[in-house]
Amino acid sequence: MKNTFNQIALSISKINKTHLQFALMLMALTMLVLGAGAPEDIDGVGR
Amino acid sequence: MFRALWLVFLGFLPQLAVFYLPYTRRLLSDEFASGSLIFSQVILLIFSIVNIRLPGMPVFLIGLSLNLTVILANGGFMPLTMDAAAKLVDPSVLSRLPLGERLSNASKDILLPESKIILPWLADRFVPPPFMPYRFAFSLGDVFIAAGAFWMLVGKQPVPALVSGDA
Repeated sequence: MKNTFNQIALSISKINKTHLQFALMLMALTMLVLGAGAPEDIDGVGR
Repeated sequence: MFRALWLVFLGFLPQLAVFYLPYTRRLLSDEFASGSLIFSQVILLIFSIVNIRLPGMPVFLIGLSLNLTVILANGGFMPLTMDAAAKLVDPSVLSRLPLGERLSNASKDILLPESKIILPWLADRFVPPPFMPYRFAFSLGDVFIAAGAFWMLVGKQPVPALVSGDA
């Protein structure tokens, strides 16, 4: 249990500003594409 | 990194409520949905202009402009051609879809015959090849948007920094 906790703590400590910026950029890019694009998936429509 | 990132959140929020969240989208009228879509895309357009120097953003901006143009020209929703719809659903289902109305409360599209679409080449009229399992209709603007987004992702090249941070 303690070992698992240590591993999690070690993983979290590796997260730095670059990781956070990259995650934020990916999230923004996803929202940008979802918001700007208008592809239509009509598979579930009419059923 | 993006400039004025808050514009993306501001721009996406109305679409989140109107098209993506099941609880809110069924409460909102088509008129509200249409207004929200236009507002949202105008905000995202401003964001794209602010960040025009980023790699891929000019391509993305072209796509967004094409989509917004055809949406504005056709009453506030993206027109979907009958031909494209016919390639995606059974004829029995297609015959029950309402012409000139939204396909569902999660949809940005209205189904229209090509003769009634203004700027039909910018509408959702393309479908992926039959071997692709995920079936959807997309527009010329969507192609530019996807290309621009991919270019942005590759052009930013954040991976080497992540690798060096892990070492």
